[in-house]
Amino acid sequence: MDHFPGNWGRLRNDDYDAYGTFPIPHRPSNAPKDTFSEGVQRTQQPIVTGTSVLAIKFKDGILMAADNLASYGSLARFKDVQRLRPVGDYTVIGAGGDMSDFQYIQSLLDDLVVEEFTSQDGHNLGPKEIHEYLSQVMYGRRTKINPLWNSILVGGLKDGQRFLAYVDLLGTTYSADTLATGYGAYIAQPLLRRAVEGRADTLTEEEAAKILEDCMRVLFYRDARSLNKYQIATITASGVSISDSKALETSWEFAEGIRGYGAQTQ
Amino acid sequence: MNPMNTASHPQQRQFNPYTENGGTILAIAGLDFSVIAGDTRQSEGYNIQTRYAPKVFRLTDRAVLAVNGFAADGNMFVKKVKQRLEWYRHAHAKDMPLHAIARLIQTMLYARRFFPYYVYNILGGIEDDGSGAVYSFDPVGSYERETCRAAGAAQSLVQPFLDNQIYFKNQQPALGTSHPAHLPLPQVLRLVIDSFTGATERHIEVGDGLEMFVVLAKGHDLAGLEGIAGLQEMSTKSDGERIFVIRRELKKD
Amino acid sequence: MTSIGTGYDLSASTYSPDGRIFQVEYANKAVENSGTIIGLRVKDGVVIAVENLVHSKLLVPGANRRIQTVDRHMGLASAGFLADGRHIANRAREEAGNHRDTYRSPPTLKTIAGRLGLYIQAYTLYSSVRPFGISTVVGAVDKDGPALYVIEPSGVFYGYHGAAVGKGRQLAKTELEKLNLAEMSTREAVTEAARIVYAVHEDNKEKEFELEMSWIGDETKGLFIPVPKDLKEEAERKAKEAIEGDFE
Repeated sequence: MDHFPGNWGRLRNDDYDAYGTFPIPHRPSNAPKDTFSEGVQRTQQPIVTGTSVLAIKFKDGILMAADNLASYGSLARFKDVQRLRPVGDYTVIGAGGDMSDFQYIQSLLDDLVVEEFTSQDGHNLGPKEIHEYLSQVMYGRRTKINPLWNSILVGGLKDGQRFLAYVDLLGTTYSADTLATGYGAYIAQPLLRRAVEGRADTLTEEEAAKILEDCMRVLFYRDARSLNKYQIATITASGVSISDSKALETSWEFAEGIRGYGAQTQ
Repeated sequence: MNPMNTASHPQQRQFNPYTENGGTILAIAGLDFSVIAGDTRQSEGYNIQTRYAPKVFRLTDRAVLAVNGFAADGNMFVKKVKQRLEWYRHAHAKDMPLHAIARLIQTMLYARRFFPYYVYNILGGIEDDGSGAVYSFDPVGSYERETCRAAGAAQSLVQPFLDNQIYFKNQQPALGTSHPAHLPLPQVLRLVIDSFTGATERHIEVGDGLEMFVVLAKGHDLAGLEGIAGLQEMSTKSDGERIFVIRRELKKD
Repeated sequence: MTSIGTGYDLSASTYSPDGRIFQVEYANKAVENSGTIIGLRVKDGVVIAVENLVHSKLLVPGANRRIQTVDRHMGLASAGFLADGRHIANRAREEAGNHRDTYRSPPTLKTIAGRLGLYIQAYTLYSSVRPFGISTVVGAVDKDGPALYVIEPSGVFYGYHGAAVGKGRQLAKTELEKLNLAEMSTREAVTEAARIVYAVHEDNKEKEFELEMSWIGDETKGLFIPVPKDLKEEAERKAKEAIEGDFE
């Protein structure tokens, strides 16, 4: 998974966009370029983007984390965005990638949940059903070459069954005890695996929350498109809850001891 | 030239609807059985996405399909094949024969000739005449019946090994003897396990877990399967062809 | 039936000389013979109760519900032709969904009742269609608080504190008028609704019936849902006691 959502689904091109600033100087033009290129232009690029989402299984359910930043290229544009959302009574989804596409996906899911509710047939959507629905939507859109530019984690618990799975703009899906999207796939996933693999059935909620917090901190240190303000979603048998935004404790003293670049010469 | 100035050389940025998810699959036909296997790692680039994503699927009591390539296409393709087989069952009150499934897969793949399912398929099972069979496909539907086939990330490592051990390529039989046309099940299983441990050692996209499906012809005895570690039966009835899975760990590095 | 034989009752697109549309009046007849439906708009919520007449012993008890859900916070019940009622419920769901898609917010009951009124009214304009044979009681708690409307076959709709349609509407209205609906809690309203439906049924005394009640209020977390089993049984027990009390 490429950390830069702007590069997803295409080769990285340093000549073209060395500093990841594409939204401002390179807005896509919808005007016809010549007599042959009329028609709907639907190949798109993400504009306002969210970075990593992390999630792990623990003894009693699922924990998911994402920060509150929505970036506009390299600009930290919106700093109070909720990237974790509840869907129905048993599920949370968390998204990286294009935030307007994510809002559209939320409205799709809201319509779906209302439709299921109004049928009053005694069935409720669980995380499995929501993930399957999302997968079909995402794969369907990629097949129309009109993707929803996101990578999404779906976590939940229903009838005592924990569920955690991934789906992205290509319709690729998978499931595991630890999942991470975006830059988190490189930096947090190895840490998560070391902490969780083989222990998903014994970890307590407190231990799991500590693991996620540590990973969010490492991501904030290393991912330039991240923020030290994040939320945690907890899904257990008692339901879904999404925390208020928390601040990450960070320490930058080590920077004082670094020598040899920038203005500091000795 | 200013690298940020794109006006002088217009660029087309295009969404790429495909990716590669690594892994390897393999199938070997015996006289009256077949073995269809795949590793369970799913990856993209240097990332392991998950250590368990099945690539081998039971279609009927005598047909197993292994899918490798772009995982999203693979899952969708298997889903659609299963749906067509269910419709066939509703229409004809029996399972579709293996050779018919093979042709069905060709038609379904070729229907997408100009926006292909980016997947390599290997279909294994038992024919109506009771013989073990393997069919291999390219992404747009070309197919043939074979005795063995490897596909996917480590195809170039595994296929030569199979050519040597199953077709006895580059081997001289001892004077007065000849190479066997078909190998017994225990030896085939050993070859499959060796293929995957070997591929795991030498290919970064192969590893984590191994799933081997064994399909036995009607009336076949268990032929050494009894008591094997990690064995699980998948057949729906016991008087027809029978399907088993054997699950093994592979190295996770 | 002065209208019969005059020819003015054959089409909804023709007025009679004294300015009536007989087809619409006939549609009202279809409503008048239906099982009673009452709606109570109280302090914190709405209760809809249906006297669900059981026309055959072969029907599965509890199946064939007459109260339908429109949105998370909204529901309705129709008296008259049940099939027309289902159609109008589907239309209401569509309207609610369209409102959500357009405005990204849940619709108010006033908007939905208005849309349904327009829709039903359109069926009183053409000779090629027949008016809806239903009166629909819609209830919700929206951003403006609890709301209750009734839409009639003509397409007119009024907002109510307490509403009753169907066979037992006269007695039900008399009973509703005695209540202090504006001060009542939804929980109390459930008990009163059950009592009124039982009393109304006792008055007519014919087929068996099942009481069906749904509510929305402070206790339901903003959802329009069936009244929980224990509360409903308690309300029915009290309703039966009240009837027996009347006889003594």
